[in-house]
Formats: sequence, structure tokens, C-alpha cells
Amino acid sequence: MADREREPGGLPPPPRPAATPATSDGGDDGNALGRLVPAPLRELLRARPLLVRRPVWGQRHGRHAAARAGLGLDFRDHRAYVPGDDPRRLDWRAVARRERLVLRRTESEDELSLVLVLDGGGGMAYGEGPQQKLAYAHAIAGGLAWMAHRQGDPVGLSLGRQQAVDVSLTRPRSGRERLSALAQRLTEAPPLGRCPWISLMNEVAPRLPRRSLVVVLSDLLDPGMRSDDADEVQDELLRGLAQLRARQHDVVIVQVLHPDELTFPWAERSMLRFEDLRELRAPLEAPGRSLRDEYLRRLAAHLHALDDRCEAEGLVLVRVSTGQPVQDAFMGMLARLAGEAGAATVEVEVPA
Amino acid sequence: MTLLAPALLLGLLGLAAPVIAHLLGREPPQPIRFAAMRFLHATERSSTQRRAIQDWPLLIVRLLLLALLVVVLTRPSSTEQTGVAVVGEPHDAVVLVDASRSMELRVDGRSLLEHAIDQVDGLLASLPPGSRVGLLTTDPDGPREEPSADPDVVRDALERWKTDGHPRAGAWTMAEALPGATALLQRVEGERPRVVYAVGDATARGLGSLPKAAEGGALVVPVPAIDAEQPRPEHVAIEQAHWEPAPELDPRAMRIQAALRRHPASSLDDAAPERRVPVVLRVGDTELARTEVVLPFGELVPVEFTHTLSSEQDLAPAVIALDVPDDPMPSDDTRHLWLAADDAIEVVVVNGDPSELRAHDEVWFLSTAVGVGDDEQRLRLRSLAPDQLESRVREQGRQAFRDVDVLVLANLRAPSPDVAPTIVEQVHRGMGLWITVGDRVQADAYNARLGELLPLRMREAVRVGTAPGRTEARAEGMAPADLAHPAFRGLRGDLGLTGTRARRVMLLEPDPQREHQIALSFTSGAPALLTREVGVGRVALLTTSIDRDWADLPLRPGFVPMISSMLGYLASADGGGGTGQLVAGEVRHFRTEQAITITTPTGQQLSLAPDDEGQAVLEDTYVPGHYRVDIGDTQSVLSVAVDPVESDTQWQALDPTPLQDGERRHVAVAVPRWRGLWWLIGLLLAAEAVLRLRSRWGGQPARRG
Repeated sequence: MADREREPGGLPPPPRPAATPATSDGGDDGNALGRLVPAPLRELLRARPLLVRRPVWGQRHGRHAAARAGLGLDFRDHRAYVPGDDPRRLDWRAVARRERLVLRRTESEDELSLVLVLDGGGGMAYGEGPQQKLAYAHAIAGGLAWMAHRQGDPVGLSLGRQQAVDVSLTRPRSGRERLSALAQRLTEAPPLGRCPWISLMNEVAPRLPRRSLVVVLSDLLDPGMRSDDADEVQDELLRGLAQLRARQHDVVIVQVLHPDELTFPWAERSMLRFEDLRELRAPLEAPGRSLRDEYLRRLAAHLHALDDRCEAEGLVLVRVSTGQPVQDAFMGMLARLAGEAGAATVEVEVPA
Repeated sequence: MTLLAPALLLGLLGLAAPVIAHLLGREPPQPIRFAAMRFLHATERSSTQRRAIQDWPLLIVRLLLLALLVVVLTRPSSTEQTGVAVVGEPHDAVVLVDASRSMELRVDGRSLLEHAIDQVDGLLASLPPGSRVGLLTTDPDGPREEPSADPDVVRDALERWKTDGHPRAGAWTMAEALPGATALLQRVEGERPRVVYAVGDATARGLGSLPKAAEGGALVVPVPAIDAEQPRPEHVAIEQAHWEPAPELDPRAMRIQAALRRHPASSLDDAAPERRVPVVLRVGDTELARTEVVLPFGELVPVEFTHTLSSEQDLAPAVIALDVPDDPMPSDDTRHLWLAADDAIEVVVVNGDPSELRAHDEVWFLSTAVGVGDDEQRLRLRSLAPDQLESRVREQGRQAFRDVDVLVLANLRAPSPDVAPTIVEQVHRGMGLWITVGDRVQADAYNARLGELLPLRMREAVRVGTAPGRTEARAEGMAPADLAHPAFRGLRGDLGLTGTRARRVMLLEPDPQREHQIALSFTSGAPALLTREVGVGRVALLTTSIDRDWADLPLRPGFVPMISSMLGYLASADGGGGTGQLVAGEVRHFRTEQAITITTPTGQQLSLAPDDEGQAVLEDTYVPGHYRVDIGDTQSVLSVAVDPVESDTQWQALDPTPLQDGERRHVAVAVPRWRGLWWLIGLLLAAEAVLRLRSRWGGQPARRG
């Protein structure tokens, strides 16, 4: 199984842990996914479906409205009979009215392919406990995966960390085994190094089924691989996501930020030493008071630019703060997926 | 101001350490692992701030701490010219240090004794090389060092003695201790000059009591513990305390009376004319009463409490105390008394010349004097005719004097030959005897029968002016009383007897071998009132009549206190009154045939064994307070008080030092000035801790990614 799922250019999958019993709803505390998704969120999602705004194009029958006609019960339209069509699908009443052979077409419901693209770089390690950005992203990813699994949709996961990509689980699969493997991969991949976004998107894009739901979870604060190419990489990433959107995929960017990153609480005169979690930039020693205003201005400019770019490209950007309850953030994201309007939910207070 | 270790000033270079530490050795910055480093940019201001001093108050406090520490280590001292005058050539000397209670007075936060020891240090340092010096104090149990060439012997002895808690009550006067000092000097061989350096206060019992020269030709150099110009504080004292029954209130009620005095400071410029002083009466462990007394300067102000003993209580320890915690001389702020249901002095007067005319009746004057004011309840007077006395003695023998504390033979011709031995025996065993003369007295009979009791033997009664060489005067005046006499202890000033005119007196035989003390004398120098201690008892002899036959003594205002004091003195040898008071250092004799146990105020128990004559002697009465005496199954008590004379801190004018100017040596004595700096260092340490805590709590706790 490991060899079969190994993808060229990707990281070798981590050793598979001993088989753990997985329940049908993935909600047991003993389950790895159960540890990722907080109990209040699991309780909230228990009877809630995962819906997307646009029709899907799944390979198998599912619960989502399909973009093509199929074998459903709801009437779609008629079309002229051509040789080779199944004569059982002739609508005899319509034939009588129109005096020519016509076929009856019905709506189809397909499965939705969910692909989670997770930033596993060191920057996601900021925060402690449930407020750690990666833990928060895991909760959202786990919640989505659990919802998809419950309604039979296939799920895939791509991970970028330590300057490498892991696309061994990118191709969506359904079933408990996939859910268990996905949870295991999340829990065994601590945040480290940098996420190579360009490589990751290049690896993920060919593996996406038609009309997939691509959910990107990252802080999108410093996506570069060098200290001077952050803007360039970010631009390339958004361009790649826009291309996915153009190929009929639903793309959702979940930007996970910590309250400290939004407010910069170090306003004292004491000397601080800032060290880069991504191990990319040089440490900086300065009193917090002298850094705060400029930081908040630059961050606000960055977030506004991101908002504008996503809106222009048709990407859904959901910005969450780990200081808010994860169920609130999750429900906001579901609303955006269902087509409700809304901007990024978290703002930066820029000093005057 | 000088520094004893100036080289340590180099330590001030260490002041650079905290400055460098503040500039370079700043605390490590709090590390924060952060994700949004992309948006962090150091400004110009932050880079310059790293070199700036961030906490000026903390730096200043630390610099002050270091500087003070260095200054303390250099031991700054001020050199004071002590003005100690010493003989310029090598000589033999004894330092005589005043250890009396008045040296307890605190001046500038230190007792006079500590000042005196400083003076001794300066004096020892200024002695010419080759001198030998010894030590004596007025403390009877104090150190005694024979002159030696090593002054450290004196220093060490003084240091050891000081740690024993001196000065103390009951010390000798300087004049009394001077013979001991000269005796030490006389043991030194050689013909070098001999000097006694007397170091103490200039009170009447201190340097004021010294003569200019001592026996053996030793020079006496008074060295005041402090300069006469140095301000001395005022203090308050309880000078007298006694009680008397108050039967008009309750059969077991008593009045407890004390007399307070406010001893003035050296300067009255800033002193309030009157001062309110709280006075407390405690019986047992209970504070029974508290009042306030307004004290002017110098006057003796009485205060009186009343108390009723409970029916179960025949004896209770009482304390009268001044509640003045900051008094510079606290030891005289407390007086101890034993309150007893029965504590009267039994006086028997044998009237040798009864008369129906009051002016010529001895007993009437005596009983009147005893009945005045307070003494009526304390003294119980009984009168006997001579034949009554003789018949009782013949019938009962020694038991006739069983309850008698004082026997007064007033103008009695002489006790009969068979009665006299009993009287002699009783006096030896502690009874007081007072003989007053008159027309009926037969001098020869007294000399023959009571000769061993008399302070001086009688010669004859003469009219004033008829004595050889005294033809010009027709009456003899009375000289001021000798207040140093134990009978007049506690009395002050003129007793009011100097106006006395005596027309007839009893001449006495001079006898230098016979020990006696003169309490009163005539202006001619002839003794008027003499006392003698015989065995355990005391005897007094008045050389004129106690009525108006020979003198107008009873008409003088001092007659009543003189009678009261003398009767009390004569009775106290026998513990008259049962709850007698002693002054500190006074010896007490007990008639007993078995060992007795004394419990002192400190709880110590002393065992005294009687000698061959059946007397046990209590000498260790230096601690004021309540004493209990257990003699077999019987128990008695006594209390010890500080002699009020020792509270007198009034300085006397001293004669100029007998040394010539050429022999004076001004010695620079190093007075330590660094001790107070330790307090300042402690305060700065506390401030430094507060500043550090403020700095630590003021910062934002680090958050880690």
C-alpha cells in the first residue's frame, strides 16, 4: 500500500502506525481525527452537510448536484434521439406531442472531491495549546474531512513542510482507511521549515479530479523560500490558485492567524529578540514599542492586498483568528462555501 | 573626620562596575519565536536605545550602595580632642572609675559610664612611656588591677566589667573608694609621682566628693566623663515610698505614698516648666491604679494611692513605678514595697521626769511628734515609768522587750543595775536604744551600766558659756545636719534645726577608739546627736534634752522628721515594722539560730548560716526589689530601693585640674562614625530590591512560539 501511494518527487510517507479502530463517524476520542477536532466542533457538525455553491463533477453518485445529466429522478430536459441511445429513456408522451423521437434527461448527483492543502511550515507553530495555528488548522481540516467522509465524499491531503511536499494522499479517496491515514499524517507532521508553495501547487494541480473543492490552510504571512522572494511566491501561489478556479475547482483559502500577529502586544520598552519560526530570516533585537506601529501598518497593507487579489481572482478567502472559537470560524467558512457573501472575518487595527 | 583605613578608598574605583554593567551587561532580551518576521523592521531609535542606561534610579541606588560600603570599610572616625590632662613625666597611676547609679544617665544615646570608658581609653593612650597604671572602680565587686606597665590590662578589665551590666546601685562614693586607690598605689615601689585619675560624673557622690589630694600624697585628677558644657537630659525619679495604715477607711486599708522629683537638665532654656508624668501602682502582677503627676523642676511632689488588702492576704508585694519609657535613667523609676496587715514600729518611752507641765514632759513632745501626720500609724508609742520598766524586766526578763523595736530612755537617771544587762543584751540582739539626757541623768551611772552601748561616754552636764573657753556665749546653736548619716537618708536640705538654741548640754569623753557617727552637732563642734552600732542593734545619744528643759529643740520644724527618721533608723536594725526597707548595698543582720534562705528579686536563693553569736548577715542587697526571708517555718520580707541620693545628677562645680598646663596632654580619640552608615546601607538595599521588583513586574511576559 505504501509503495502504491508513493508519488514521484514527494516525501516518503511517514511510517504507518499500528492500525487503530476507526468508528464510522470518526468522532471517538480514541481516534486520531477525534483528537484533532475539538469536541464542541464535532457536536456542532454532527447533522450538518458539507455543501458547495456550484455543481460538481464526480466520478460516482453522490449527494451534490452534478454539472451533467444523469440517472436521477428530477427532470432536466429533452433531447433528440440519436442512434445508439437507450430506447428505454424515450419519453413517449413527448414523442406523441412532438411526433419525433426525443429522450428524457434527468438531473444527476455526484460526489464531491475534497482536497486539503496544508501549510506545515514552521510559521504555523506559533501559539500554544488550542491557539497554535497548526492545531487550529488541523481542527478545520479534520472537521471538513470528517463531514466529507460522513457523506461519502473522497478526501485528499497535500502537505508542504521542511522545504518538501507530501502529495502521497493528494488523490481523493473515501472510506475509513483514508480518513484514518489522513488523521495519522496530520498528527505525525510537526510544523517545520518552510512550505514550498510553487512545488506543492505544481504537484497538486495534476492530481485534482474535476471540479474539486480545494481548501488551502495557511497563515500566508511569509510564503517565500528565501528572505527576498515572499512577494513573488505569494503572487505565483495566487496565480496558481486562480488557474485552479478557472478550471472549475472551488478554491477556498483559510488564512489562520494568531491574535499576537494581529495585535502585536509587545508595546513595552524591554528589549525583545524575535526569531523566525521558519528559520529563514535573521533574528531581530529591539524594544517592542519601536516595532509595533510599523509592523501593524505593514501587516494591514499585506492583508488588504490579499483581500483585493482574492476578490479579483474569484477565490474565497476566509481569515480566522485562533483567538476565536474554532466552531465559529468553521461555521463562517461553511457559509462562504454555500455561497453566502462575506469578507474576511478578522481585521487588523492599524495605529493612527 | 579621618579614615582609619584610607587605602580602601581605592575601592571607589569599583563604582565603575555598575555603570559598565548597566551599559554592557544588560539583561538578555526575551526571545520570541515569531512567524510574521516579514513585517518587522528595526527603527533607528531602537538601535541607539541598546546603549542607553535604561534605569537611572536603580543605577544611582547601586552606586550609592557601593560608595557607602567602601566608606564604611575605610572606617571613618572623627578625632576629638579629649582634653585629658596627665602628668607629663612617667608616673604610677590608678584609674578610679565611678560605678554609681548616676553613671547610668544616658547622654547622646550612651550612658555616662560608656563615655567614661572612652575617656579612660584616651587617658591610657596619653600616658607617658614608662608609666604604670592600675584600675579600681567604686563597685565593691568591681575589678581591681594593680599598677602595671601594660595599659591593656586596664582596658580588658574594664571591658569585661562593662559587659556585666554595670553601673549599679549601692556603689561607694568616689571619696569612699579613694583610699582603695591610694592603697593600690602604695604597693608600687619607687619614688615616682603617684596619681589617681578619677573618671566619673561631677555629682555630689562622684567627682564632687573628692579631695584634691589623697592619703600618701597621691595627686587626685578629676576627669569628667563628659564636658561640663555638654547638654545633659532631665530625668524623673521616685525618691521616697512608704505606706501607712488607713483604719478610717477600712481595717485593712492603707495609704501608699511616694515622693517624685524631676531632676533638671543641664540647661533649662528649652525645658517645659511643668511635666506630666504617669505613675502606676501595681500589687502583685496587677496594675491597680494609674495617675498623672505634674512635676516642676527640683521640687519633691507627693503622690498617694489607697489600697485595701483582701482578707486572705496578709502580705503583698507592691510596686510604684513611673511610666516614662524614655527616661534616661530608668533604674530610679521604680520602688518596691511590701504591704502588710500589721507593720508598726513599737516604741517604748521610759519617762524619767514625768511632769504635769507639757513643756517639761519628754513623753508629751515625743508622742506629739510621733502623732503628727503619717507617723501616727507607723509608730506605736507606749510610755512607762522607770519602776514599771524595772518590775517588768525583773518579772519577765528578756521577754519584757519581746515586741519592743526601740527603747527610749528619756531623762532617766540610769537603768538599775539589774535591768541594764538585759537592755545591753537586747541591743546586741537588734533592739534600738535612744538615750536623751536631762537634769536627772547621772553620767557615771550610765557609763558604768550602759558604757559599752554609748557612742561616747558621758562626762558631765554643763551650762553653755560656763564650759572652759566658752564664756562668751549663753546658748549653743545647731549646725546643719549631716545628711550622709544613714538615719537621715532620703531627707534633703536644711532639716530646720539650725535655729535651735541649747542652754545646757552633756559633755562627752573623746574616744577615738570608739566607733560612732555624729548625726547632729552644735555650732561649736560638740556632738549633739550620736549613733553607734552595737552588735545587731543601734544606739543613739542626744546630748541635750528632748523637751524644753535644756533646749528649744522641740519647737523647731525639723524636730518631727528628726524623731521619725531616728526612730525608724533605730528600729530598722531589727527589721522594725516587719517589712523594712533597705537601700541598695545596705547590710542586714538577722538574729537566728538556724540557717536562713533569702530569695532575691531575680529568683536566686541565698543560704545564710548564723555565726557563733547567732547572727546571719545579708550583704548582697544590690538588686532593688522584693526579698523573701525564710527562717525555719517563719517567713519575713524586706524590700531594697535605690538610695535617692544616687539619682541626683546635678553637677557640681569642679576645681580646676591640679596639673599645670605644661603637663596637659590633649589626646585625639578616634570616635567611630561608621556605625550609623550601616542603617543607610540597609535602607538602600531595600530600595534596590523594590526598584528591581518594579522593573521586573513592569515588563511584558514573553510569549514563545
